[in-house]
This record gives sequence, structure tokens and C-alpha cells, in this order.
Amino acid sequence: MSAPLRALIVDDEELARRLVREYLRAHPDIEVAGESRNGLEAVADIEALAPDLIFLDIQMPKLSGLEVLEATERRSGVVFTTAFDEYAIKAFEMLAVDYLLKPFSQERFDEALARARKLVGRRAPALDRLLAQPVPKLERIVIRDRGHVHVVPVADIHYVEAEDDYIEIHTADRSFLKTQRLSDLEAQLDPRRFVRVHRSYLINIDKLKGLERTTKDSQVAVLANGRQIPVSRAGGERIRDCLGAK
Amino acid sequence: MHPILADVRKLLWYLVAWLLVGVVMAGTLALAGLAPWTKALVFAVPVCVVFGFIAPSAYYVCRSLPLARRKVVSVVAVFGAASLLSGLAWLGICAAWSAILREAGEEWAVALPLPLAAMLFAGGVALYLLSIVAHDVLIGIENVRAAERRDAQSRLFARDAELQVLRTQINPHFLFNSLNSISALTTADGAAARAMTIELAQFFRQTLALSHQQKIPLAAEIALCRSFVAVEQIRFGSRLVADFDVADDALDCLVPPMVLQPLVENAIKHGIRDLVDGGVIAIRCFVRERWLHALVGNPVDADARPAEGDGVGLRNIRQRLATLYGERARITWARDGGRFGVEITVPLEHAESEAGR
Repeated sequence: MSAPLRALIVDDEELARRLVREYLRAHPDIEVAGESRNGLEAVADIEALAPDLIFLDIQMPKLSGLEVLEATERRSGVVFTTAFDEYAIKAFEMLAVDYLLKPFSQERFDEALARARKLVGRRAPALDRLLAQPVPKLERIVIRDRGHVHVVPVADIHYVEAEDDYIEIHTADRSFLKTQRLSDLEAQLDPRRFVRVHRSYLINIDKLKGLERTTKDSQVAVLANGRQIPVSRAGGERIRDCLGAK
Repeated sequence: MHPILADVRKLLWYLVAWLLVGVVMAGTLALAGLAPWTKALVFAVPVCVVFGFIAPSAYYVCRSLPLARRKVVSVVAVFGAASLLSGLAWLGICAAWSAILREAGEEWAVALPLPLAAMLFAGGVALYLLSIVAHDVLIGIENVRAAERRDAQSRLFARDAELQVLRTQINPHFLFNSLNSISALTTADGAAARAMTIELAQFFRQTLALSHQQKIPLAAEIALCRSFVAVEQIRFGSRLVADFDVADDALDCLVPPMVLQPLVENAIKHGIRDLVDGGVIAIRCFVRERWLHALVGNPVDADARPAEGDGVGLRNIRQRLATLYGERARITWARDGGRFGVEITVPLEHAESEAGR
């Protein structure tokens, strides 16, 4: 017999964790590697324990279940549990992501587990798509940087710069690296607040102090913290459209 | 039906006005030396009163051309034709009455030489045009009033609907998580599962009972909050502590139902829930002079997300208070570092004084 599968139970409610633990008792080949009581703990536990399966609640303190995946870049062996989250459930249905709706029965749990079991260790493309979904009113961005999880409120962002295959998110006085495409982030942010001023730059329109013409054909955007950002011709038009629409 | 003819009092005033017009006309005839005063009165007053019943027909003429869909050509054509016809009718009435009077006896006869007939015709046309203008104004005012009434009515309906929704709004997250907790408890601790079922039932029963009323004693609202907290305490365990401090003289004060419970719910959802070690929700109610004050305070995660939903729930309560009390109630909220606090102030009303209503 192969080594038992190791499961992590993530939920901020003790009774909810207890229920999953109880349902798992029917599956002796699965052992509970740990329990996490909030999103931050979950990020640490996923890194430390590398569980095969994660039972992941969505609405949690500190970080939501989706943000936990975002921060850890974990894309396999995830079974979502949620009591009610209209937005998430709609996304799950659309992308055929398996999830457990609380309260759920042992049978329903076993079904989800059977499906998850078959896919253990395999990257689930549906999760990639799920995390690339535009979030209604995205208010913060989760960034994992050298063992730390940073939560950056969207309102604090001055601008985002695209590097090769990652982006650099700049606030007034700090910057964070994240593996994501600029266009993906742009799609998640409110287009009335964030404007792509250049192929490699996205700025927060609330932090825009002014536009300066450097030569006849080129201009720069000056931000609240004094940073100057190159603006392409199309970018200049987008800024004007955005300001005009306000 | 014509608005003047439909109302006896208006009709009487209207006839008095036409009697006066008749007197003025008689005076003009008398002063012009066309007839002595008595003859002039006998001639003028009846024709004016009869014309008084022709002039209101302008109401229907105006209505046939709604204000919004008028063109100069049609207005000139329709109003001009109607006025000319009325002028002719008026002249006919005058001629007929004059003939009747002549039949009655030479001493009552008022001759209608051509210049006088022309003047009467012109006067009839002018009076009818005046009637058209007056009716247009009348219809305009009527339309504005009707629009105002409709507007007020629809706002009232909208508010009613909103209140209805707010009242029946049951947080599904709370319900399903509670059911999940019960499901977890059934095997490990059957008695606790039963207790939680009962608490949950009690909470919903109270919600249903209270939501039909416009105002309830604070004691009932506090009981609702306590039931809610009791359910949530099973979910959150020792992380959730509620500290109720309600002054005795505040208990029978009237408040709208479900104004404090959402605050307690928010305190858990946006406060306690985000704190790994939980915290204490402080609920304080007291009376100061003519006001009832209710405060709900809770610790919040210092680096937590900005309040989800941008305070929609709080603004809903503000809206409800404004509907019920106008300017006389207030809700304010503030976040001060690691604490969030909401204060509601409503004018003092007691259950007894409401009983007679």
C-alpha cells in the first residue's frame, strides 16, 4: 500500500474543521497533516507541510481562501468549502471547480474527495482560470515575497511596472515583485481607477499629479510620490478618457 | 368632467364672476349711452351667465391639444376656430335675447346696431381666448400636482419595499454556517447540537415576530441580539465575548426593529472574525435627556482589509432612521486604530405612549 495522502484542513471555525476531520475518518488512507485557522496560517502550513489535499474555506480572517492560493501559487489538490459566497460559487460553476457547500453530507464529501484524489499532484487548469478571474471590486493584492505575505490595498498602489515575466507593484515608498502578467492584473482592477499608460506601465489615476511634455512627441505622468512614468500616445488618450469620464 | 362644473362651490363662485362680467358689460352699455342702466342689466347679465357655460368648453379644447404635443399651426387653427365659433355663438345669444326682449315689450328692447354687434363678437372671441389661456394654466397646474403626487407615491412605495427587503434580509452566510456547526455537533455532542438548533430557531422566530412592527421596545431588540450572539458563540467559541450594558430606563424605549442586531453582526463579521484571538463586543444603551443612545464597539484587525461592502449595511440603517425620524435620528461610525464604533441616537419614545395609537 502506498503512503497515505496528507490533508490540510483550513477553516476559521473549529466545528467546521472538526466536521471535515470526522468525514475523513471514513478514509483511513488519508491522514490529517494539520489544521489552519486563518489565511495566513494556511499559507505557512501549505509551505511547511506540502499537503496532498487542502480543504479550503473561502471566507476567512486575514486572507481569503482564494488569496491563499494566490499567495502560495498552489494549484492542485484543492477542495473548496463555503457556506455562502455568491461570487465564488458562480465562478466555481462556470469553471467546473469542485466545491463543498456547507452543510454537506458524508456522501457529497466522499464524491468530492474521490475526484480530488484522482488529480492529486496534478496542476488544475481550472484553478489557474479561477484566479485569473476579474474580482468584483478587488480591494487588495496578496503578494508573497521571501517568506512574507504582504497585503497591499489597491488604493495604495501608485503604479505597476511590467518586467520580463513578473510585475513590480509600487506604493508610495515600497515595491513588491509578483509573478503575474500586467494584462492579467489590469483585467482584475477597476478600469476607472487604473490606466495602462504604456505597454509596461499601469498607473493609479488617483495618484496622478500631472502630465508633463518632455519632447514634442513624448510625455510623462507625474505621480503623487514624484515618480515620472513614461506615457505612450495611446496611454495619453486613455488618461484623458479616464479623467473625462469622472 | 370639467373641474369647475364638478364642484358646486367652485361653480357658484364661477357664476358670481360671470354675473360681475354681466354688470361690467351693462355698465359699459349704459355709459356708452346705448341703453339705460336697468335695460342694460336685464340684457347683459343673462347673456353673460349663459356664455359662462360656453366658456368652460375651452377645457376640452385645451385637452384636445396636449401641452407636450403642440404645433403653432394646429394651435392657431384649433384655438382660433373655437374662439371664432364661440364669438358667433355669443353674438347669436345676444341677438336671440334681444329679440326675445323686444317680443316682451318695446320698453325692454336693446337694439343691436352693426358696430355694437361687431364689438360683442370681438368681445366674445377675446373672452373665449382668455378662457383658453386660463384653462391651459389650470391644466398645467393640475399636471404638475399629479406628477408630484405620483412622485411622492412612488417614493413611498420604494421605501416600503426597501423596508420589507431589509426586514426579511437574512444573512445566508450566518444561516448556512450555523447549520454546518450543528451538523458537526450532532455526532460529537448531540446535546450541544440540540441547544444550537433551539438558539437558531429562537433567533429566526424573533426576527419574524419583530420585523412586522414599525417600532419595538429596546428590550426586544436586545433579546434578539443576545440570541444572535448565542448562536455565533457556538461557532466562534471563546473568541467571541459580548458585553451588554443596557440601562434599566432604556429598556422600554422604542426603536425600529433590527437596528442593533445588524451592528452586532457587523462587529462579528468585520471585527471579531478577522482576529485570531477574537475579542469583546461592547453594547451600551442609555438615556440622556430626550435621547436614546446605543453604541456598539468592537476591536478590528489593525491591518485588515478596508470594511467590505463600503458600509452598505450602515448606510441602510441611516436610510431607515431617516425614513422613520427624519432629521431627528443619527447614526455615526468611526474607526480608531484597532477599534470600530457605531453610535445610534434616536428621540426618546416610550412603549406606553405608543400603546394608545
